[in-house]
Formats: sequence, structure tokens, C-alpha cells
Amino acid sequence: MSHARDAEDARLLASGEYARLLAVYDPVIVQRCVAALKGSLDAEDVAQDVKLRLYRELRGGKTYPVPFRVVVHKVIDWTVKEYFDGRPTDVPVPEGWEPSSEDDSIGPMYVESLIADLPPRDREVAALHLVEGLSPAQIAARLGMHRNAVDQALHRARVKLREALAAHG
Amino acid sequence: MAEDVGRLFDEYATRFARGERPDLRAYLDRAGEARDELARLVETWLCLAPPPEPDEDAIALAEAWLRGEAPLAALRARRGLRRAQVVEALIERFRLDPARRGKVERYYHEVEAGLRLPAQERLLSALADILGVPASLIPSLRPRPLRAQAAFFRAEEPPPDIPPVEESAPPDEVDLLFRERE
Repeated sequence: MSHARDAEDARLLASGEYARLLAVYDPVIVQRCVAALKGSLDAEDVAQDVKLRLYRELRGGKTYPVPFRVVVHKVIDWTVKEYFDGRPTDVPVPEGWEPSSEDDSIGPMYVESLIADLPPRDREVAALHLVEGLSPAQIAARLGMHRNAVDQALHRARVKLREALAAHG
Repeated sequence: MAEDVGRLFDEYATRFARGERPDLRAYLDRAGEARDELARLVETWLCLAPPPEPDEDAIALAEAWLRGEAPLAALRARRGLRRAQVVEALIERFRLDPARRGKVERYYHEVEAGLRLPAQERLLSALADILGVPASLIPSLRPRPLRAQAAFFRAEEPPPDIPPVEESAPPDEVDLLFRERE
């Protein structure tokens, strides 16, 4: 599934707008490290090393066969694993490292795909809530629905999403 | 009492989607025994959810980081604050002895330079109020090391006019505020 985010990332990479690219992914990097380390105060250290590794990749002008988003998550995976293995996390990723679209489960996925088999209206409600961050009241106003119907759709979507996330994770 | 993990996840995910920086550690604490389950849900979610567009602050902080400058200092500058004003605000907020202003300034410089982590909740909260950002953002605002260093290296040495804080004397109120969780 192609996504507007991936297209915009490709444009930012091509035009060298690295600050904007890092600004997009900084909260993802930090929050994923906090989650992976279960809230340990080391999480920001690991996140800093992830950013350094990405910086070295960007500075080296590397190009990738997968969306930059996948590169970010692969570097996080790698760095977190090294942290738990007790290895140094502040060294560059190995020369010649290249994330592949074949060996990752992140590449083709976006959260919308996890709720794809919900009824269309539920899917629309869930996407507005979980992807755009709209409140139930805002969704009701935008879609011309009763608030109760929005709450029920969100409940179904939450159950589905939680099952899908648990299966995926 | 621990809160329902599904509700916590939903609240966290929607706030993240809005471009906020929700304090994940606080959510994990609220989950109680379901802490690990919530952490797994959030981590998987972050792999799959499209990140929100960054605001101008976030881009300016990334630019500072790329230049090797201190993002916290860049944020302070964006707020039109001098370091002395932040120091004064901290002295006032915590009713510190004004005679210890120099020490507060040295400590705060170390925080900006990434040499000291502001782990005390009350200090994070004060800096967040002064700089107008979520407290959970501040620990990640560290400069990019300018050359290869060991993992614990955080930034260049402080300039000669701001000597590092001596830690051999018994800790006073300023030390207790700035030193990492003990």
C-alpha cells in the first residue's frame, strides 16, 4: 500500500530536507524507544543513538529500496536489540546495510490495513479518530452521525485494532 | 488503581495522531500490571501509524540538532528568552537562595549542553512551563555529539566562563534539584 507519508518522505530525501524528515520521525523514535525499554530512563540515550545512525546514513547520501519510514523502524529495531544485548549502540550501522522490502513486516503496513475488514463506516470513523486524532464529537459533526453511533463504531474498531496489534506485535 | 489498557491506548494513540507528545511513561504507570501489554500495543502502533506533520518548533529543533547545536538552547531562543531569564524563573519557582544563582546557571548550562539529564519531575515540569513544551519532550532535547565518542558522551565541554559544578561538597537545595534521580 503506498501512502502519502511515504511519497512526502521520498520528496524530502531527494531535496535534502533532512531537518523536516527528522522532525517527522523524532517523536516516533523517542516514543518507540520508551515503549521498547518499558519506560526506562535509558530510552532517550538509545533514541539519540538511533538519530545519530540515521544522520550518518543521510549524510552518506544513501538511497533505499523501501520507504524511509521502514529504514527508521529497522534502525530502531537494530539499536534496541543491541541495547538489550549489551552491545554499543553509538556505532554506525554496518557498511552495506540495506533494508529490504522482502524481510520486513513494516513496509507494506499502515494502521488502516489493520482495520480494513471493518464495515466501511466503522473504518471511516476509526481512521478519523486514530489517524487524524479527531474526537468522537468532531467525527459526529463531520460525518453527520449521532454521537452514540460514533461511540459504537469506535468500540468495534478498538476491539478489532487491539486484536490486530496484539497479533502483529 | 490501574486503568483499562484499551482506554489508555486509545487516549494515547489519538493524542499522538493530533501531533501532541503524550507522556508515554505516565501512561505506562497508569496501566499498572498491564504496563508491558500497553508498551507492546504502543510500540506496534508506532510502527504502523503515519506520523503527524511536525510543527515549526519541531523543525527548528531538528535543524539545531543537525547543526550540532543544543536543541534546548534553540528552543529557549525561539521563546525569546536569555539563559539568565530561565535561571531567574527557576530560582523564583523553587524559592532558591539567590546567592546560589551562579550554581543554578552552571547546572542549567549543563542541562542545555546535554551534559546533565533533568530527571527530577519537578525540574522537568518547571522547564516545560517556562519553555512552553510538554515535560516529556525535554529529556530528548540533547545536542548531537560532534565527533565519535563513547556512548555516554553528550556534548562539547562547557565554555571556560561556565565551570562545571563541583559535586564533592554536601548537596544543597540546588544540587538536589538538578542531580539525577538518586
